[in-house]
Amino acid sequence: MPVFLVLIVVVIALYLLEMLAVRSYTSAPGSDIVPHACPPVSILKPLKGLEDCLFDNLESFCNLDYPVYEIIFTLQDQNDPAYKVARKIKDKYRSKDISIIVEPCDEGLNPKVNNLIPAYKMAQYGLILISDSNVRVEKDYLTAISRHMEDPNVGLVSNLIRGISAKTFGAAMENLHLNSFVAGSVCVLDKYLDMPCVVGKSMLMRSVDLEAIGGFTSVKDFLAEDYIIGQRIHALGKKVVLSNHLINNVNEYWGIGRFINRHTRWGKLRWQIGGIKYLSELFTNAVFMAFIAMLIMPLSTATVLFAAAVSSLKIAHDIYIGTRLRSGLSPLLYLLSPVKDIIIGFIWFVPIVSNTVNWRGNRYIIGELSALSPMPETGLWILIYRLLRAPFDVSR
Amino acid sequence: MLLCDFHIHTTYSDGSVKLRKAIDIFGQAGFDAIAITDHVVNGDNSFGKLAHRFKYSVTSHNFSQYMCHIKEEAQRAYDKYGMLVISGIEITKNHLSIENSAHILILDIKEFIPACLSYEEIFLRAKQQNALIVACHPHYMTRTFDRDTLFLWNNRGKYARYIDAWEIANRDDIFNVVGLEKYPYLANSDFHKPKHLFSWKTLLNCVNDIDSIKQCIRHNKGVAVTLFRN
Repeated sequence: MPVFLVLIVVVIALYLLEMLAVRSYTSAPGSDIVPHACPPVSILKPLKGLEDCLFDNLESFCNLDYPVYEIIFTLQDQNDPAYKVARKIKDKYRSKDISIIVEPCDEGLNPKVNNLIPAYKMAQYGLILISDSNVRVEKDYLTAISRHMEDPNVGLVSNLIRGISAKTFGAAMENLHLNSFVAGSVCVLDKYLDMPCVVGKSMLMRSVDLEAIGGFTSVKDFLAEDYIIGQRIHALGKKVVLSNHLINNVNEYWGIGRFINRHTRWGKLRWQIGGIKYLSELFTNAVFMAFIAMLIMPLSTATVLFAAAVSSLKIAHDIYIGTRLRSGLSPLLYLLSPVKDIIIGFIWFVPIVSNTVNWRGNRYIIGELSALSPMPETGLWILIYRLLRAPFDVSR
Repeated sequence: MLLCDFHIHTTYSDGSVKLRKAIDIFGQAGFDAIAITDHVVNGDNSFGKLAHRFKYSVTSHNFSQYMCHIKEEAQRAYDKYGMLVISGIEITKNHLSIENSAHILILDIKEFIPACLSYEEIFLRAKQQNALIVACHPHYMTRTFDRDTLFLWNNRGKYARYIDAWEIANRDDIFNVVGLEKYPYLANSDFHKPKHLFSWKTLLNCVNDIDSIKQCIRHNKGVAVTLFRN
């Protein structure tokens, strides 16, 4: 029993740390009250497939309160269903500076970077914003993030994200995870550990800085191109800033399979990038640890009470962060938080035994710092390769 | 080419999403024209009575409300997405035997048509309204055996002249028999859940207005089908 009490104290401390970090970002004064010059911005929107509410997501970028900006929708294939949506947006907002580029590019293995390379060539302005298609923003978004660029020492601005609009179990899992683990970790890393943690859903940077790190071509074979860009800009001596302006990641009709696929992929990224630090994720997943304790130890009042206490604390933690992020999740959904953490706990082990990723229909082998290499031919040996070689194939 | 789906259910019958949400799902995906076609079920047997009991059917009582709601949402969809929304129903004659069952889409409907009427009378009333008549899933389908409705296909010699188009494909199934007979065709999702968005669809090479669409379908010129996948 004393061991469990100590563990409870540790769990509370961890949760408090995350809550304080999130609180510090979400209670900072609004950026819209700070007047500043608004330099022109080129928004690069790589599109592939129909994200949930794609029309609304793209439309939100046509209604920004910002003096001069252009939007470049970029696709690899005119038969992509997102092309028709992009066309409709362009037709609806004829007065806006919107371009659609359809240009197959196979320079690298990262399909998002392949999409960005032709778009970047078309960009007119010195500030480049990369924005994913599953992101929806408020009217003051560009004003809020561009103000950081007034400081010449700032090289990159990324944003806190919140998951919204869940209508299925898979989407609820996704939004719970974004609004707890992801938001909490990003804030803790940025605030207390001074580790820039760039989430590629929104990245604002200067084209000169991008070119100084080698441009998009230099990250074409990395899965975590956002992380690499952030690190390299940081290495230039520039600050990587986490804006407190929240952007919405719309996840409405996800199946549970998509949730598992995404977090397996993200887990593999963190394993390849973080190495031994990845282990900390398992030990900070208190719900999963309590669940495992219940399974492997003789069932007792202490283990059950411990699991119940940890689950209750996690629900309270997630409600707090969700409320701070104004995620709009139904309060009842937070009851699923412990279930989500148990699923995430099992997913945690996958990167240890497998180094292949499936991303947007493409399968790759992922190596150090998320470097991608093509998947070899299929066959019995590939199974051996994946299961046995993977744990020893990365530099730690 | 217009990307179209003319077979969509909402919570007015057995669909899982409300009318507004169903329209938004298609609008968000870039569709050009859709038809809302909730079931109007025959109430003259136990299947129909159950459907009426559990409100899985548009009835003469709520038909005007249904139409007003579609009209209101159609205006919103046109303003927001540039998408045409056509009002319709699916006449649903369910019987124990699949040989006696038939489902018929009536597109651009103006006045209520009860499902318990005879086929001839249903077709006549639809024609009087200049509505489009489409025979739904007219052949055997895989997996969802309970939806097989063979009556119209088995009696096509008698009824084909009334039918403006046949569903050559429905959701994941394709009925090549319709093509073999050279009947005009459409492909629809028979949308009940959001995941049904990704299914067979119709492409029309015409102007995006109701008259051009009806003419295009009736004359079967510039009609193609596509399996819409993400």
